[in-house]
Amino acid sequence: MNGFQVLILSVLTLLFAASLTALLRGWSGRREGIVWCGLCMIAAVATIWPQVTVRVANALGIGRGADLVFYCAVVVMMVGFWMTYIRLRYLRRDVTQLVRHIALLEARSQLPDADPGDDSGGNPSSRQH
Amino acid sequence: MVWPLAKSAFDRLVDSDWAAGYDPQSISRGFAGVRKNEPMTQPSTTAHDAFPASRNPRVYVVIPAYNEAAVIADVITAVKASCPDIIVVDDGSRDATGAIARRSSVYVIRHVINRGQGAALQTGIEFALMAGADIIVTFDADGQHDAADISRLTAPIIAGACDIALGSRFLGETIDLPAVRRLLLRAGILFTRVTSGAAVSDTHNGLRAFSRRAAECIRLRLDGMAHASEIIDQVIRSGLPWREIPVTIRYTDYSRTKGQSSRGAIKIAMHYLLGRVMR
Repeated sequence: MNGFQVLILSVLTLLFAASLTALLRGWSGRREGIVWCGLCMIAAVATIWPQVTVRVANALGIGRGADLVFYCAVVVMMVGFWMTYIRLRYLRRDVTQLVRHIALLEARSQLPDADPGDDSGGNPSSRQH
Repeated sequence: MVWPLAKSAFDRLVDSDWAAGYDPQSISRGFAGVRKNEPMTQPSTTAHDAFPASRNPRVYVVIPAYNEAAVIADVITAVKASCPDIIVVDDGSRDATGAIARRSSVYVIRHVINRGQGAALQTGIEFALMAGADIIVTFDADGQHDAADISRLTAPIIAGACDIALGSRFLGETIDLPAVRRLLLRAGILFTRVTSGAAVSDTHNGLRAFSRRAAECIRLRLDGMAHASEIIDQVIRSGLPWREIPVTIRYTDYSRTKGQSSRGAIKIAMHYLLGRVMR
């Protein structure tokens, strides 16, 4: 085992430990925790026994194990970017709703308390039914 | 086990009106055209009744503004002449837009963080509904609209002829419209025709008027500029009668710098398409 493998393995071990802790303590979602732990283990196997990737690659009709790892990495990264982007969009939407809520709360003081002669709208609390 | 479920269902029932704007599910539910607190017997495709002559409908003008300190005072003065109830949504401006607007007697709503024109419009519309508006007009803050057009937009709604009046510069007059901008707007119209199936002659016009129940159907989820297409979508889907009214758009050097570049337009289109996929 060369120095590079040791380095990669130590990083993977830390990552695995962190994911496992997060999974067991319920900090992360169950599904993403399992995905992370699985990814760490697959990466560790590929680092310790690179021949395994060659065998899998050959079975899939890809010449080299390194190519297989590269393809997988590209796909995983693209999916990851996409999921992050979607998350970000929902986050932005949440921020907007928060900002809107604060803005409306602040602005309500500008409205006259009672809405004279208005039966259809006005104060939201009066619209409950 | 059953109690928390029942409780949350109850909470939702009680809070439904206030939470409508914040509940993602209501967005898809909201287009039935008729809301649950309205009589269901009324078909949604007919316009509301005309306003009785005895009572003047309360018209509120919503002006979303972001860094418009240079022109906001003039715009407010111009709009005041035709409509006294003005709601300025200061969308997290870094200049004195909010402070200047506060000097005149208008409602000023402040977004703590800049959220985009679509978000500001939605906030303004919700506040107008809270204030008891009968008709809500949206008006751009950069001074490109003519305040005299407001009454032309509200007239058919007051008469009960339609629920939504959309301003159209291509039916009306455009002053100093740059050629590139014209091309871009044409592309936007074609885009809307393809994506929403709406034959609207000017999709990206900020001057619009909604009856109260039409405004209640509007739920803008696209914060940025893509809301223009989203509004058209929701107008079509609400099933409420709409019409286009010719309006004047004045292209000044100032408003030109505030408009969209061609690259921005592509970004907006992407935002819109993604927004249609994501609910």
